[in-house]
This record gives sequence, structure tokens and C-alpha cells, in this order.
Amino acid sequence: MIAPEKLAAQAEEAAAFIRGKFDLPLKHAIILGTGAGVLAEQIDIDLTIDYGDIPNFPKSTALGHKGQLVCGRLAEQPVIAMQGRFHLYEGYDVDQATLPIHVMHHLGIDTLFVSNASGGMNSKMKSGEIMLIESHIDLMCRTTPNMTGDVQKERSLLRSDAYDQQMITNALACARREDFAAHQGVYAAMLGPNYETRAEYRFLRRIGADVVGMSTVPEVTVAARHGIRVLGLSVITNIANPDVLESTSGQEVIDAALVAAPNLKALVVDAMSK
Amino acid sequence: MLDLYDKIQESLTFIKSKWDTAPKAGIILGTGLGPLVNNIDVQASIDYADIPNFPRSTAISHKGRLVCGTLDGLPVVAMEGRIHMYEGYPLKEITLPIRVMHAMGADLLVCSNAVGGLNPYYRKGDVMVIDDHINLMGDNPLIGVNDDRLGPRFPDMCEPYTQELIDRALKIARAEDITAHKGVLVAVAGPNLETRAEYRFLRTIGADVVGMSTIPEVVVAVHEGMRVVGFSVITDLCFPDALEPANVNEIIEVANNAEPKLTKLVMGVLAEEK
Repeated sequence: MIAPEKLAAQAEEAAAFIRGKFDLPLKHAIILGTGAGVLAEQIDIDLTIDYGDIPNFPKSTALGHKGQLVCGRLAEQPVIAMQGRFHLYEGYDVDQATLPIHVMHHLGIDTLFVSNASGGMNSKMKSGEIMLIESHIDLMCRTTPNMTGDVQKERSLLRSDAYDQQMITNALACARREDFAAHQGVYAAMLGPNYETRAEYRFLRRIGADVVGMSTVPEVTVAARHGIRVLGLSVITNIANPDVLESTSGQEVIDAALVAAPNLKALVVDAMSK
Repeated sequence: MLDLYDKIQESLTFIKSKWDTAPKAGIILGTGLGPLVNNIDVQASIDYADIPNFPRSTAISHKGRLVCGTLDGLPVVAMEGRIHMYEGYPLKEITLPIRVMHAMGADLLVCSNAVGGLNPYYRKGDVMVIDDHINLMGDNPLIGVNDDRLGPRFPDMCEPYTQELIDRALKIARAEDITAHKGVLVAVAGPNLETRAEYRFLRTIGADVVGMSTIPEVVVAVHEGMRVVGFSVITDLCFPDALEPANVNEIIEVANNAEPKLTKLVMGVLAEEK
């Protein structure tokens, strides 16, 4: 737990560092989940900054994650993209893991695209398809981020699942235009790092979740408190059917995410063009 | 974070100086399995307090020593006394002995626990062979930087309890005329017992029994690539509409009465490991 004033100071320091390197008026940020790193290749890159160089940033350790901030242009607009994120299962506390969101707020970001890899439990979903997160269920048991002083004033924004419905509607229209399957549904966040048991999948399905993953909820919670609009994009990287469960490998997840990458890009570019 | 491997080696070296045999199985003598120790031809008995990096146990009716020897001719290592999350130990410490048993050579983990029965067909004193689990402890022993020497970052959980061993145990139960169920264990942190509303919740999400242990050890065993067989002794009934106050002495009495059955099952399962 980091004290609110210290957290704000850390975020401001990191934001100032990034602004010193990339001083364009920023509105949009992207968090690239597992396998979505290829989306970074679509960005007209000005520069990349290693997390290790940014003051107060933790380092990313997860499989398939690079750990750098990509700064450039997408859809002719300035954008920053986090290539690699901080997961609670890596041992970061929730304040460390969500520090980048506070930094984004300091940089003036008002729209955040969060992507992740998830296990599809809804039987309508197929591997490689995308689900637009309509709401989430927090089962991480430790997602109570500290809030900086300036956020305390914005208690009207206490809903943590503030996924923007208009952006979801637009994204579904874009998917129809581009002719690929996109779903709308509920993301359940587990602590991980092990994949779920059959009994856990049944439990999650019963309580109303469509997909399950190990990220996103901490970041979205903080973004919502800052009043940042969020479009959550879950890539179904494996099918979690407890009645015919097959083992899941990290590589399989990354492979399926690659299939979804062009569609992910189409959705983000379309939203940024609006 | 990567000091776990060295700790295991340190514990291993110490144990080997007392008992230099590779066990075939590691056994957690949880509630109901205590007297199994009487069937072990003990070659070394080591207090946890003497083993580097081992935690100490404070729970009632649990001793704290590692018993090494042969069970009906099969070399085994048994933990007499287990440490619970509700005692305040981090899960990494609680599960270290499992990693040490694997490092000694055991590729099979046998565990038992006392549980409350949620399934209305279960009766006090019945045994349940654990088919699957739901982790509601709000924590995971694998959090932190993963050491690839110990196991994968994202362990698969589609078969945490080895189906072949479950079938073997149930077959022995039928041959011995023992009532044995196959079901789902849910583990909560405890230490308080559940409320009526929580029992309804746990039953609704698909659990047959509820306990406060075992899952951390099993998650680590799966991470290490061990086979697992687990037994739950139903020591009290948790039917929310006819709930009686729990009586610790009665729970222990029921567990003691179930011991001969559990001993038969474990001896039978291990007899085919020779």
C-alpha cells in the first residue's frame, strides 16, 4: 500500500519523464495484453521507453510481455501503448500494478483501450474471437487500489465497471462492417497464476461470467475513478469448457491471440477515428 | 523471489543427512490420517523446528515433525502436522514441505483433511475422494516471480487430482464396503466456520464439502508435476436450514472414528505404487 500523496507524486514524476521524451497532446492509451503486442507494430512509432527507465515503474516478468511504453501515432492521433503490463500474480501489489493508469491520468489520457487474453466459458465463443467487456466480476480478493487525492473528489464515479456503452455499440458495428465475430459479455478476474479447475469454471459460469482472466480489473477500477473512458477487449485465447476440458499451454494462448490481432487493431483504429 | 529453490536445497540437504532414501510418496497426515503413522516403519523422525526453512505448526491435534520410513515396504515421507493459512503463515511457507518432498524423490502426494459436508447425501464420518476443487482462499502460493526450475508460470488445472488414483481409491472403498463419495472441495481461508448464507453460496457454486486447507499444497504439487490423491473426512454437516453449532470435540471424535477407513484406503492406493 502506497500513501495517496506519495502515489500522486510518483505518478507525476513518471508522467513528467514521459512528457520530456514525447510531448504531444495525448488523449488515447492502449494496454496490450498477452499476444496483443503485435498491435504495437501497427503504431507509427516515434520512440519506445523501457519500463526500467521510467521513474517508479515496476518491471514486467510475464510470458509474452516485453515491458516497454510505445509512443507514436495510430489513426493519425498521438497514442501511448503499454507493451507488457503488471499482473498481481507476479507479486506486485495493486497500487504498483495500477501506477501506469495514474500516470496516464497525469498525461491527459481520457480514453483507454484495455486488451487481455481470456478463457472463454460462454459456449457461443470460439478461440481467437473478441469479447467487448460489458462488465466485470472481481474475484482477485485484493483489488482495492489506493486513490490519489484528486480522485477523492470524484466520488460520483464510484462504479468500477465503467466500460463505455457507446464505445461497445460502435465496436460491435465495426465488427459487423469488417465481418468478424465480436461478443459482448462479462469478464471474471482471478488472481492466478494457475489456470482454473473444472469446478472453478462451473462456478464462474454459474455466477454470470462469460470469460475469465487474470488482469484488467485493477487497471479499469483505477481508470474509472479517474473518469477515463474504457473499452475492454478480451481475446478468447482458449475455450474453457469444464465438461471436455483440455489442458491449456501458455503458447496456445499466445497463438490464439495472434489470430485476433488484426481484428483488435480494426476495433481500436475505428474507435480512435471517432 | 528466486531464493525458494535454494531454500528447498537447504532443507533437502539437512533431511538427507538424517535419511538418505528417495521416497515414492509424500503424505500429509491431515485430520483423520494421523494414526497412519503407526503403520510406518520409522527410520527417521525430524522435528519441523530442526529443518531449515520449515514452518512450525500451532493447530490443535497436530504435531510438527517429518516422519521418514517405509509403509508396507514402500519408502514414504510423511508430514505429521500441517500448517494452515489461518495461522497466519504465507502460503509459500506452508507449501515449502511439498516442494521438499518432491525434491527428495516423491512424485505422488497423498493428503487428507477434515471438512464440512454441504452435499445433502453426505453423512458424518463419510469419506470423500477429492475429484476437483474451488479455491476461495483469496490467495495463491504461486504468486511472485516464477522459478522455471520448479514448474511452469501458468500451471494447468484440468486434472489436479489424478483420475486414475481416484478410481483406484473408489474401487478399494467398494471392496472394503466403505462409503466413499467423489466430489468437489472448496477451501476458504477461515478460521471461523461459515455462516448459513455462506454455506448456501458454496453449495450453489458447486461444492460438496468445505475446508480450510489442502488446496495450497495441491496447487504446488501440480506446479511441481506431482500426481495427487486427496481424501476429505466429513466431520460435520453444514446444512444451512438445519444448522447445529459446531463442536470441536465432536469433530475430532468423528475424525478419529473415520481413521481406520482412511488408513485402509491410503494403504490400498499405495500398495499399487510398489
